[in-house]
Amino acid sequence: MNPAELTHTIVFYGLALVSIVAALLVVTVKRIFRAAVALATVLVCGAGFYILLDYDFIAGIQLLVYVGGIVILIVFAVMLTSSLEDTEIRPSKSRKALGIISSLGFLATALIAFQSTSFPLSAPTPEQPSDVALEIGRKLLGYGSDGYVLPFEIISLLLLSAVIGAIVVARNPLKKSSDLSGQSEQSDGSAT
Amino acid sequence: MSFVPGLFHWLCLSTILFSIGLYGVMTRRNAVGVLMSVELLLNSAAMNFLIFNHFAAKPFIDGAVMALFIIAVAAAEAVVAMALFVAIFRSRKTVDVTQIDTLKG
Repeated sequence: MNPAELTHTIVFYGLALVSIVAALLVVTVKRIFRAAVALATVLVCGAGFYILLDYDFIAGIQLLVYVGGIVILIVFAVMLTSSLEDTEIRPSKSRKALGIISSLGFLATALIAFQSTSFPLSAPTPEQPSDVALEIGRKLLGYGSDGYVLPFEIISLLLLSAVIGAIVVARNPLKKSSDLSGQSEQSDGSAT
Repeated sequence: MSFVPGLFHWLCLSTILFSIGLYGVMTRRNAVGVLMSVELLLNSAAMNFLIFNHFAAKPFIDGAVMALFIIAVAAAEAVVAMALFVAIFRSRKTVDVTQIDTLKG
């Protein structure tokens, strides 16, 4: 085992340990705000894993969008829907048992399937494209048979409709009740 | 069996994270907790795309493009979910998923 491989292995197991412990905290901790902090830890570790896999660009996107965007949104959701001191009631015994059985069942089935399958691996050290970000940009906007310009445009429409839908759903209906034009706009929004 | 992380070790990792998220989806009572567990599921799915791209399709980067799409969809989902929770909390004063059962027949 050469030094580079050794570092790779140590970093992998360290990150794996941290992210599994943090993921367990996300699903079990009583205070929902602490769960949000643990989720941020899991996502930062995920970016570390992507760097280990040589996808630095995706790791950057993960940090920007997940940790910088989604976790902040979730923290806002926590603060707007419950007080920070609020603790969640523990799930009932039967619900807990059902969750443990189904998740362990999934884990066992998947691991047995991985163990018994021989995946068609590529050669050990094939050349990576020199600039992954450049290549991803080409793929995203390519309209040939290997391009993703249609999903790219659909994703942009999805994000736009999600933002508009979120504004319509979360807007306070009481504030606009005196204003007639605001009210008709409101009913239009809820109809769609 | 060697301890150097290969395809099997990486798949074990993403599967463990996925099953932890599955447990959270099934046991969390707070809707924001359920949303966080769903984020765990989406994160491990994106990681799976990158793992298979790294080990089985190295010169191509289609798996990385798919991971980008998953991250974008996760962002859209979090935005809509947060708006729904705020609206539900305003009318029901709770986001406990076992209490929100108006549609139950």
